[in-house]
Amino acid sequence: MSSRDQILGRLRAAQKPFTDVPPVAERRHMVPGVEDMGPAELQARFMQELDLLGCTIYCPRDNQDALNHIVEHLGDATSVLSWDDDHLPVDGLSDALQKANIKIAEFDDGEAHVGISGADAALAATGSVIVSSGPGKFRTASLLPDIHIAVVDASKIVADFETWAASQKAAGLPAFRKSSNTVIITGPSKTADIAQILIKGAHGPRKVHIVLVNAATS
Amino acid sequence: MQVNSNNFVSLAEIAIHKPELQEAVSEGTRRAYEKRAKAMFADSHAQGEFMRQQAYEAKRRALRNLPEVLETAEANLQANGFKVLWAVDADEASRHVQHILKKHHASTVIKSKSMLTEEIGLNHVLEDGGIRVVETDLGEYIIQLNHEVPSHIVAPVIHKTKAEIRDIFMRELNMESTDDAAEMVAFARKMLRRDFLNADVGISGGNFVIAETGSLGLVMNEGNGRMCTTMPDVHIALVGIEKVIENLQDYATLNQVLTRTGTGQNLTVYTNIINGPRREGESDGPDDVYIIFVDNGRSEVYGTKYAEALSCIRCGACQNACPVYRNVGGHAYGWVYGGPIGAVLTPLYTGLENASPLPHASSLCGSCKQVCPVDIDLPRMLLDLRYDLVKEKVDNKWQLGLKGWAMGMQSPALYGFGARSARFGKMLIGDNLPSVFGGWTKYRDFPDFAPKTFHQMWQERQKGKLQ
Repeated sequence: MSSRDQILGRLRAAQKPFTDVPPVAERRHMVPGVEDMGPAELQARFMQELDLLGCTIYCPRDNQDALNHIVEHLGDATSVLSWDDDHLPVDGLSDALQKANIKIAEFDDGEAHVGISGADAALAATGSVIVSSGPGKFRTASLLPDIHIAVVDASKIVADFETWAASQKAAGLPAFRKSSNTVIITGPSKTADIAQILIKGAHGPRKVHIVLVNAATS
Repeated sequence: MQVNSNNFVSLAEIAIHKPELQEAVSEGTRRAYEKRAKAMFADSHAQGEFMRQQAYEAKRRALRNLPEVLETAEANLQANGFKVLWAVDADEASRHVQHILKKHHASTVIKSKSMLTEEIGLNHVLEDGGIRVVETDLGEYIIQLNHEVPSHIVAPVIHKTKAEIRDIFMRELNMESTDDAAEMVAFARKMLRRDFLNADVGISGGNFVIAETGSLGLVMNEGNGRMCTTMPDVHIALVGIEKVIENLQDYATLNQVLTRTGTGQNLTVYTNIINGPRREGESDGPDDVYIIFVDNGRSEVYGTKYAEALSCIRCGACQNACPVYRNVGGHAYGWVYGGPIGAVLTPLYTGLENASPLPHASSLCGSCKQVCPVDIDLPRMLLDLRYDLVKEKVDNKWQLGLKGWAMGMQSPALYGFGARSARFGKMLIGDNLPSVFGGWTKYRDFPDFAPKTFHQMWQERQKGKLQ
């Protein structure tokens, strides 16, 4: 008998536990209240949470302002890891980088100082950005460099983890499963393994900067 | 991993006399305990308790139909391109890993934190076969350098102070002396970067397997787990069969309850959801992703009164809350899992006879149940294990003693004789009880018996009344 059948057989032969657990009656969200917010409130909450996490944020006026800001933010960096233009909510970033003499590095270049990604969604309740892998959307942009710049379209902000999970289901799970990797990023990489002292910048980016395009102005 | 749990008392005694360990563990657990309370009840106490209940039910619904949920998970994982393997025990799990490494001609492995791989002693097996294994979670990295095992489920090196960790880095890797934890972290980042970029295979555990989507869910803060599951060409995940859950909504609940309870974070920095190997057109991610479902004693527990131990999501909160763990740390428990959940899992997975002191390593204060994100009734199981210990493996001397006691209690004549002679017995043996009872009087006085027994006094009183 295969190990699989042996294990499943043992489980089936055993007395079934927890037969008294009721079916789902009500599902609450971990952070109540956010799911009822409108877009402007969601954006405000998102920005507030980002701030608590130690992320920085910039809301550009228009596309040109966004491009200028990103190039400026790169500082002395001579090469960056960047998603393909098609997957970023700004137009013409690769041209702007070229003009500024900044090389777009290969995905596995461990030396690049900055990584630029888009975001498939963002969570207001926790200040998270969600990035899914795909062609032109490589994983390392948000992982290898010291600084991660996520360019987020404000319309992608949803309330929380639960809302996002439900939206994946509503959109059809095959779409979700098409990405080999989806990562919910909540703040800069950190560790507290040494005597519970919180240190930002373990193995991933030590800084996360959000460029929030199409933001509602208050 | 070898089981050393029958030496709990002597291991605990060693731990109690280590001042660094005392400082590190009591401070670490206290902080984690407070962070958990703050995060779980950030909104209100009622909300926090409701979410615990919701998590409790989500986990138990999955366990109730475990064989079916495992089959659904397997089918969806395979549809996503995972290669699914099953292992009855530790040996088989290690053999699977060895075969995979051989097939891919691997010589270097990077690992993200996994208690299951500790359980099956994977590192030793691989190293014996000439494989270089690098633990990449900072805590695990330090532990590996110091040839130790983790002492806490979430914070593996909770038992060491900053100065001790600095000394390990200096001794093992010639780090320059520093008192700055940030410099130590930067040093480790630099050291490990090469391995992240060059290792052949990444090995991880799994916090959750989501059956309906065929996904592996991992939580992490440092990013090392993303490195291990992204950079090498091959990723192997070892997952206990109890880790499957039904759907994405349950995942949302359980994942958030886990992080709030484990580290006091709303979410860990990375909530990493893996849906198999990289797809066509993707430039990074592994070409092959294996998932090994490991039983190793779990199916034996499934149908028993201890089944709820399988709903543990490994947050470490019971360790932080336990007055015993807070004093002795994790190593005293003699196996992989310390604290209340360890005191239950160790006898269940390795045999009651190999861990008989552990069910007693608890004051039954109930704190562990109270903080558990899935409300596991740990005190109840500890009591049941004590009952099993008595029922299954009482030694003859004890049974003989009990029989004698029963005889004496049932016969007024024998009882009277015993009560009257106790005082003389005490006079004969002095202040220290002999042989096996000596432990009791080592730190205590053995009080004198009253000059007259209650019966004698009662009889004298009755006589007085009659006169």
